Amino acid sequence: MFALPLALPFGVHPSRNLPRLAGIAWTCALALALFGLPVLSIAENRLALGRPVLGLQALGWQAWLILALGVAGLVIPSRQASGWRSGFAVAVFALTILVLGTGLGRGAMQALVGFPPAARARLDGGAWLALALLAGGLGLALRRARAPWLGRATVAALVLGVVLLARSGAVDALSLAVEYAARRQTVNAAIGEHLALSGAALALALAGAVLLSLWRRGQGLVAIVLSGIQVVPAVALLGGLVALTGGLLRAAPALRDLGVSALGAVPAIVAIAAYLLLPLWRGLALALRSPDAATLEAAGALGLTPTQTLFGVRLPLGAPILVAALRVAAVQAVGLATLGALVGAGGLGRIVFDGMAQFAPDLILLGAIPVITLSLGAEIGLSRIEAAVRRRWHA
Amino acid sequence: MDRAAQPTVRHPALGLAVTGLILAGISHPAAASLIAAALGEPARRPLDVGRLLALSLQHVFLAGAGLALVTILGVGLGILVTRRAASPWRPMVDAIAAGAQAVPPVVVVALALPVLGFGGPPTLLALVAYGIMPVLRGTVGGIEGVAPDIREAGRAVGLTRLQILTRIELPLAGPAIVETLRTALVLAVATVAVGALAGATTLGTPIVAGLQNQNTVPMLQGAAATAALAFLGEAALLALVSAWGAIRP
Repeated sequence: MFALPLALPFGVHPSRNLPRLAGIAWTCALALALFGLPVLSIAENRLALGRPVLGLQALGWQAWLILALGVAGLVIPSRQASGWRSGFAVAVFALTILVLGTGLGRGAMQALVGFPPAARARLDGGAWLALALLAGGLGLALRRARAPWLGRATVAALVLGVVLLARSGAVDALSLAVEYAARRQTVNAAIGEHLALSGAALALALAGAVLLSLWRRGQGLVAIVLSGIQVVPAVALLGGLVALTGGLLRAAPALRDLGVSALGAVPAIVAIAAYLLLPLWRGLALALRSPDAATLEAAGALGLTPTQTLFGVRLPLGAPILVAALRVAAVQAVGLATLGALVGAGGLGRIVFDGMAQFAPDLILLGAIPVITLSLGAEIGLSRIEAAVRRRWHA
Repeated sequence: MDRAAQPTVRHPALGLAVTGLILAGISHPAAASLIAAALGEPARRPLDVGRLLALSLQHVFLAGAGLALVTILGVGLGILVTRRAASPWRPMVDAIAAGAQAVPPVVVVALALPVLGFGGPPTLLALVAYGIMPVLRGTVGGIEGVAPDIREAGRAVGLTRLQILTRIELPLAGPAIVETLRTALVLAVATVAVGALAGATTLGTPIVAGLQNQNTVPMLQGAAATAALAFLGEAALLALVSAWGAIRP
């Protein structure tokens, strides 16, 4: 009834053909990525601009194999939406991604023959587009398969496959791997710092949100102030906090002995926590209000004390809301921690900003990929927990 | 933003505007130097008013362009996605929306840098990539919140699909859409400030430069002015909406 207000002249309903049209568009895009766009670019050194290499040159016959496998993965589960067909499609897509990875690694090695050691083989637009399309296909197949364990198994298998590929040296020629090999320790340390920054901010904000929700009379004011903080841009808040910490340190130099400095982790953690207060405080308030009046009355009639009601009734019933708030806050924390590098707090932002300053694309990627992975991990992991909690308490 | 905040402030736009004006006052070179002196910082090289205004203008221009793009694309896609024909695509759109939100704007700016070069374009891309999804979700939520009976009644009196959209669905979804546009506006001002890292000349520029060479006064000025823009922009949006609501029949 609410179809688009256009009908094809020969009486074909557009909604019925939309999936087929999208499938054709997907296939054309994959073909373009593999045959029309450069999948690699070969540069004299890590900062120079590259010379493009097309997919057929870099991948050879494997380009055709990838296209065929991709189309197969799309077509296999077309009619019967459920069952082993979708599972098979998932396996086909995962295999295709690994084939693409090995092919690119070998293509890079061949393309670099005869170049000086400083030369780099960077992944170019075609490779990223192909990877995105295959990942999209994999996601669609997983959704159709409707088996939660399959998603986990596929992610685990893909991670294992990528690790094995990296270990075997098949992708060593790719610039990203070269860059990682040169900075393995820095990157690993930065991941740790990033987790520590976002974790500390999350803990601080959680404590702050609990304290703020205990102040019954001031809830209106708290709402205004916390919403106000959200409006302040993060870069501005960081700048303001650095100035403030500097002034505080001059007023009370004893703080320096505690390891506080104007530039460093402290202003970054405070700034990140300030943004997390609103979702956490709001989530806490909503969670505590989630049981209806009858439930609370029943709890009172059973003779539960307010503390027992809080831990036995209010918190379990509000748990899904609480976990949802935690998810929003955790994803924000991981993103905001990237900006912490601006004030010398370290973390993955430092690698990203170094890469921007040097205009070195691979260094940017080296910082960006872990940020995105951590952020997606927090989102997916906590939404799984949210669903599990919902099932547990609201069956 | 929050219901609990309503009774204490007579008009939400007023509080935002006053906060914005105070922050704008702080960004004035004299005021910022005074604050820096109070914090014990040497008052070095403040930005003069002309430079501050030029930076603000560029900031407003870039954020405005981004916000316009985000609004058109976000609301447009939201309307498309809620049509019946698009219902098989909803899970995919939702998944992409969640995925796009997981990439922080700084990272988008950084990733776009090698492709689009220094300056405004990577900032605009980050703005669109990160801002579209909240607006899309808000629009979808607003339109889906319209009770089916009202839509049914519209059809019963002979409205076409387009009329149902423009006369029933969009007006009823209006408050939800405005709420997401507020989020998008705040996001736009913040992302344009981050764009200074990619070489866009905005109010973020003095902040980033000030952080790098420990120059507190321009840093404070930039920070206060950026925050002032966000508050004033929100106040303007709210005032505009309530004025529009007042003149509408």
